[in-house]
Amino acid sequence: MTLRSPRLAALVFLVGLVAGLATVALAVVNPAATDAAPVAVTPQASFAGLTAATGEPELVGIAQAQPSPGEIVRAAGPFDDRFSLEDLAFDGAAVTGGVLVTSDVSEVLDRQVLAGFYDQQGMLLGSDRFVYHLATTIASSGHAAAPDERVTFRIEVPAALAGQAASVALGVPVLVNE
Amino acid sequence: MRRPRSALAATTLVVALAATATLTGLVGTSLSASADDDEGRAKNVIYLLGDGMVRTHVTAARERFYGSDGKLSMETLAAQGYVSTYAVEKLSGQPDFRPNPVTDSASAATAGAFGVKTYNAALGVDAKGAIVPTMMELAKKAGYRTGNVSTAEITDATPAGQMSHVLARGCQGPVYSDAACQDLAVTGAALPTNDVRVTPVADQIARNGTADVILGGGLGRFDADDEAALTAQGCSVLGSIANQTTATKADLAAATGQKVFGLFNRGILTVEKSKRDNPSSVQAQEPSLPEMTSKAIELLSQTKTRGEKTEKTHKSDKGFCLQIEGALIDKRSHANDAAQTLDEIKAFDDAVAIAQEFAQRDGNTLVIVTPDHECAGFNIREKGTFTNAEAATPPANVDGGNTANNSTPTRPSNARDSARSTGIVNGTGAADAKNFGPATFRIPTDAAGVTDGSPEAGLWLSYLPRNHTGADVPIYASGPGSDQLEGTTDNIAPFGIVGHAPRVIR
Repeated sequence: MTLRSPRLAALVFLVGLVAGLATVALAVVNPAATDAAPVAVTPQASFAGLTAATGEPELVGIAQAQPSPGEIVRAAGPFDDRFSLEDLAFDGAAVTGGVLVTSDVSEVLDRQVLAGFYDQQGMLLGSDRFVYHLATTIASSGHAAAPDERVTFRIEVPAALAGQAASVALGVPVLVNE
Repeated sequence: MRRPRSALAATTLVVALAATATLTGLVGTSLSASADDDEGRAKNVIYLLGDGMVRTHVTAARERFYGSDGKLSMETLAAQGYVSTYAVEKLSGQPDFRPNPVTDSASAATAGAFGVKTYNAALGVDAKGAIVPTMMELAKKAGYRTGNVSTAEITDATPAGQMSHVLARGCQGPVYSDAACQDLAVTGAALPTNDVRVTPVADQIARNGTADVILGGGLGRFDADDEAALTAQGCSVLGSIANQTTATKADLAAATGQKVFGLFNRGILTVEKSKRDNPSSVQAQEPSLPEMTSKAIELLSQTKTRGEKTEKTHKSDKGFCLQIEGALIDKRSHANDAAQTLDEIKAFDDAVAIAQEFAQRDGNTLVIVTPDHECAGFNIREKGTFTNAEAATPPANVDGGNTANNSTPTRPSNARDSARSTGIVNGTGAADAKNFGPATFRIPTDAAGVTDGSPEAGLWLSYLPRNHTGADVPIYASGPGSDQLEGTTDNIAPFGIVGHAPRVIR
């Protein structure tokens, strides 16, 4: 180690000394702050046997459904006892409606509606989803939203499936209240 | 001359570092000596959190249930103070410190459980997304038994704040989604999905073993794999996660063992008023917060396994750390539902009484009671008056030119707007969704025959918004170290005090 100047060396000494004294001083005048330093504990960062998610959530019921032409059916999800679907409509190009949370009145933080689209024979063609995330909603609207149990959604038939979708299955894989 | 200069420099550095090391070593010795001295150590800590409950909630509940000259149990605790609750914005730090005056439960939970200010929605990570250890993790590591009880989903912010680490509180499970779990404003790019910070809270709780006793709601957040992970840790699971069968109060009463996991509703637990009004309902089989509190204390404080003939002791000899949350105070305040809010405060206070009774028997337990933030501007108004929300016009400063009075709005001709104040909201005005009228409740000193929802009732209550406000919150405490919570502190302060009391933090 080489320091090119005695002044610099003296400065280093001074800094070291000051740091040491400062540490002592802090400990003396503010023992609580020093005491509050947590012991070395590293929270668990991974979990053996837990399969990491590989994408957006799916619902088994979407793959299993075989709705008749014109039908809008429900696909079972983990929160079916917490909401109702209202004013559902499907015109071949998009499915629309509202999700009314019935279990809680605090802000809805996250809500996702998954739509499966089916052909005339009830075979699954593909899917798309409506994603509501409160933080994004506030950011885009410029003001905090009042708690709103009902959110309307519109999920369009993917362009590649245009003209082929005859029915829909809907489910809610994500729902979180404040 | 270079060599001497280098030698001088090296010597200087060594001396400087040695000086620092010596001096800090002294401090370390001092702290170590302190660490070895367990005199005054609290054996147990019971941290009771009334979500969204501030001074006016406490006062209103006191008036309602015990009268003006009565006291809630929490009010009888010896040490009392106030706590500021502000959060910070994402990526805030030093010197770029950007506070947010109004916290949410996640940021407040992180402040209390980690001693770190963070942004709203963050759990167990600081404002820049770095993981910080929780009080419950520290306590567990130090050999204490741990418990987490809530009337919310156990994956919700306050309970999750002690036993998980996520960028966004919406990442509760049972499944991952980008919107609910990632936060690009903090991390810049999406984290890999095996990163704990985007791992659903339910998955973390089921696997990290942070809490020995978990009681609450939120069964719908867990799945069969979670149940397998819990049972593999020796946890007794009440009901069935795999079958989504909720546990009952009977299951809870019969529960034994060192590790117990019981969720009594697929979502949040049912409000007390509803259970009382519908005693034959499935929800009426949910335990109350006082019942869960009592059982959690029993499980955590037991010193031998039931049925054992020997006096074989367990880790509980060292003590326990238990968090109890009355979550529905906040949720019913969001709903501006004063009747249920009051009942939930009462249930929470009854849980406080149980903690106090244990602490008095034990003689060495720190009990802390505090909310995380205020909710909905709950207030007690003078009987017969109206609020601005019911007024025909907002307050006007009609006397602004008067230098003696130029900042005080006056309302000389203001009047109640009959369209905005059509009656008492839990009485004659109940059917009007646009009614800003008060909710009224009888108090013990009211004359016989005075009913809730009548203008004669002595307690008039109202709300302002439906969301949180930035008011300071009260804190009540008793036991070792509780005196340090007197006066006004910030919500990161209890972390050090709570942690030091049982010497989890030295």
